Amino acid sequence: MAFLSDSAKASPTAGGEASATPSSWQVWRYRLKVASREPTTLIGVLTALLFTYLIVVPIISIVLDAVRVQFGHERRLGKDFGDLTLYYLDRTFTSPVSVDLFWRPLFNTLSVAVGAILLSLLIGTILAWLISRTDMFGRRWFATALIVPYMLPAWTFALAWTTLFKNRTVGGQPGWFEALGWTPPDWVAYGRFPITIILALHYTPFVILLFGSALRRFDSQLEDSARILGAKRYQVAMQIILPLMRPALMSSMILIFAKCLGEFGVPYVLGLPVKFEVLSTSLFRSIASRQTGVAGVVAASIMLIGIITLMIDARLVREARRFVTIGSKGSMNRQSRLGKLRLPATGFAATIFMLSVGLPLLTLFLSTIMKLPAQFTLDNFTLDYWIGQDLHTVALQTGVLLSPDLWAAAKNTLVIVGLASLASGILGLLVGYVVIRTPVRALSVYLRQVTFLPYLVPGIAFAAAYLSLFAVPRGPMPALYGTVTILVLALMADQMPYASRAGISAMTQLGKDPEEAAQIAGAGWFRRMMSIVIPIQKGSLVTGVLLPFISGIKGLSLFVILAVPSTDVLTTYSLRLVDYHYTQAANAVVLIIAAIAYLGTLAAQKLTKTNLAEGLGS
Amino acid sequence: MPTINLRGAQKNYGVNSANAVSNLDLEIRDGEFMCLLGPSGCGKTTTLRMIAGLENLSGGEIRIGDRVVDSIFDGVFVPPEKREMGLVFQSYALWPHLTIERNTDFGLRLRKLPKAEREARVEKVMQALDIAKYRDRYPSQLSGGQQQRVALARMLAVNPGVLLLDEPLSNLDARLRLEMRAELKRLHKEFKTTIVFVTHDQWEAMTLATTIAVMNEGTLQQMGTPNDIYDRPANRFVAEFVGSPPINILSFDKNGTSDVAKEAEAYLSSRYPSLRGIGSVGIRPEALSYATRKEDVPQGSFSGKMVVTGILPTGGSWILELRSDSHTLFLTTHALPRLELGEKVRFFAPPEALHVFDKDGQRITEADKLLRSAKLN
Repeated sequence: MAFLSDSAKASPTAGGEASATPSSWQVWRYRLKVASREPTTLIGVLTALLFTYLIVVPIISIVLDAVRVQFGHERRLGKDFGDLTLYYLDRTFTSPVSVDLFWRPLFNTLSVAVGAILLSLLIGTILAWLISRTDMFGRRWFATALIVPYMLPAWTFALAWTTLFKNRTVGGQPGWFEALGWTPPDWVAYGRFPITIILALHYTPFVILLFGSALRRFDSQLEDSARILGAKRYQVAMQIILPLMRPALMSSMILIFAKCLGEFGVPYVLGLPVKFEVLSTSLFRSIASRQTGVAGVVAASIMLIGIITLMIDARLVREARRFVTIGSKGSMNRQSRLGKLRLPATGFAATIFMLSVGLPLLTLFLSTIMKLPAQFTLDNFTLDYWIGQDLHTVALQTGVLLSPDLWAAAKNTLVIVGLASLASGILGLLVGYVVIRTPVRALSVYLRQVTFLPYLVPGIAFAAAYLSLFAVPRGPMPALYGTVTILVLALMADQMPYASRAGISAMTQLGKDPEEAAQIAGAGWFRRMMSIVIPIQKGSLVTGVLLPFISGIKGLSLFVILAVPSTDVLTTYSLRLVDYHYTQAANAVVLIIAAIAYLGTLAAQKLTKTNLAEGLGS
Repeated sequence: MPTINLRGAQKNYGVNSANAVSNLDLEIRDGEFMCLLGPSGCGKTTTLRMIAGLENLSGGEIRIGDRVVDSIFDGVFVPPEKREMGLVFQSYALWPHLTIERNTDFGLRLRKLPKAEREARVEKVMQALDIAKYRDRYPSQLSGGQQQRVALARMLAVNPGVLLLDEPLSNLDARLRLEMRAELKRLHKEFKTTIVFVTHDQWEAMTLATTIAVMNEGTLQQMGTPNDIYDRPANRFVAEFVGSPPINILSFDKNGTSDVAKEAEAYLSSRYPSLRGIGSVGIRPEALSYATRKEDVPQGSFSGKMVVTGILPTGGSWILELRSDSHTLFLTTHALPRLELGEKVRFFAPPEALHVFDKDGQRITEADKLLRSAKLN
């Protein structure tokens, strides 16, 4: 009730209609009017439908493949095509071949992942500490240099490894050690050992970034308080620092695990010669041998493991927030003096850099300009593999730079990855806009979640899902297998988690005010988008396109399943060269990819003044 | 601008949440400088945003003149871009990618005015607000006070019928705030715009407004001129919210009545036996005087004996803290108090300085006449 003094200029209490309760249809009519006034909700509904079709339906399709009779198995199972069956589950999980199909690959995946995690934690935490909290020489330089392995495709290292350690088990040009007269044993050359080492080196940047940023945020006053109360250095480390760092450590462990789960290139190059299979290569083999049902089961299993892993991560992140609120505001970051250890510590960082960047790239590069491996005489060097002409070989008679196949692949890469990143960047911003602005809460929640879904699904399983849905014509949709379209769609959907996150966070940061101010000034929806929202978000739109572009260029697992020779991209082209044992050419292509990915990342960082840690999507 | 009328306006965010604004009746007349005053969370900003059209209603209606702009019953909602109002945000919300000139020009461009007229109007407001020299800079290159001027200029350029201001001075430092207050008052005169101003700062409201609407917990408590609000608060909330140091309240509870309150009760019931149902009495600190000798206390005033327990200089005036066994009073005086701590004094107040509230905290208006007439006797 309003209390009005006698001199107040208030209107008489509105009688009649204004104070009566509106009927429910009046309320709905009003709400509809408010919601339909702007296209935000309409765009939201359309994008929600699009992503349901591009993300949810393929996943459902492959899960259904796992429990339905596939083409060619009707007779054996005594059922019609498409009937429900437990045959594939049984075959994958309990039959005599289940060990080869699922259990051993699962064990291998787990063991490789655990090994890689432990190794990268060991190296990564030390490096993170050296970079962020000590007076090591060249900290700044190392802070960037040690992240480089993550910017390069992981199987760059695998190819470098084979170049060095390949032995007589496999044909083709021998590795350098073999050529020098020492035959590396199989366990060094192929399988679990090299895969673990390479994945560890590749994902160490995760630990450096996540753990390092947690260390930097760590308030030295917390340390000081413990010291003042009489705690010794190691006690401070064990009882104060470590517990507070636990969320960051757990988070990087889990992210590495999730990445290892979907890793395809490294185990493909290094595992195949000794039949060392992980889940992703097992899935690839099932698809290659047209075991659609089993492929469905394996893909669904990979997805399930991925989803569980990342749900654990989400939980940990929430727990970590609890710590953040306790931490004090004034973040004092004091450096430890290394003293006598200053030089050895720098040496350690330099060694890791050499092992994880210098050596592999140098090896690859040298291998592309040498005729015979490991023979360092002047007449052995040549540029033929890059720019040679009329080489007297069966195929690939020119250097790789002059080969039309390379340029076709490069063009495909540009078109496919370019289109997909452009689309996902724009859609990401739109999704961000709708999620933040729509008055329909359910729509906002659904869009946020559906675009995040591919993040939980390793790329290779996602590709399998696409294959399952789009391999045959369905309804008005023609069969897309072998077309550029399927690659663009799959890549776009696969990049949506990053794109939509970027869009949402950009829109959250922008806040409502600038747009509302334009609204007050008289600008309608379209005008606001064009003159206010998009110009302000230009930077994040560029990142939203560039980051998917970089990760698309070095991506392999999605393409290896969906690409055919006519739609070869650079990655699949180089893999094909590996398969044909054109080692030098394959290495050259990988170097080109690595260069593009590296320079692209640098450009993106320069352009947006962000650092990579945010792009990791932790 | 025709009169803006809110009738039974209501807003809640979600069906089960409490009303941010409930059953609000408000009339804003042409040329008025109205302040919506209240503590944070009282619904004043929500009210402003409803007027602007940035929030839609959950009940009631809003009219501008005879035109309904928002009503559930009529199924009408006129979006903000069609309401022709100006709103200055608390955060200023300048567009970071546009220069100061383009920020100011934005609304005029939308109205498709000829270039010459646009330039003239931009020039005029930029001169009026003294920001012409920054025309080519970007918002991030300006200080808070300058940004605030740009935000004002941007809205004044389109010459809106009503200018809504959402705590625009709260991000400024004290000196700038004083300057901008004077500026706003000048602009109100110069542009003759209706202004609705949201603030939680009572001084701001007192110095600027022609009408103040005090709100609390989503409801309107009182609407009136600044003097009305201060001199005749409609209820205890308004009395206690406005004024610093806050009004002294003597409440007549069954079980917590202080000795001073008992004296007040005795004073009122002996002199005005017709007054019934009193819940509490309020006395503003500056309405209280003190005397060291009984002879100096005027006849017929409400008075009592207390001990000086604090003398707080505030520069030009002093706040005295007086205590009895069970009560503490604050008294403001402009003459240097020649008192010692622990000294016994008599406070007194003329009867018309007493604000009498009923048991629900509402002002008993009959008491005003009685107490005022007492003075004449």
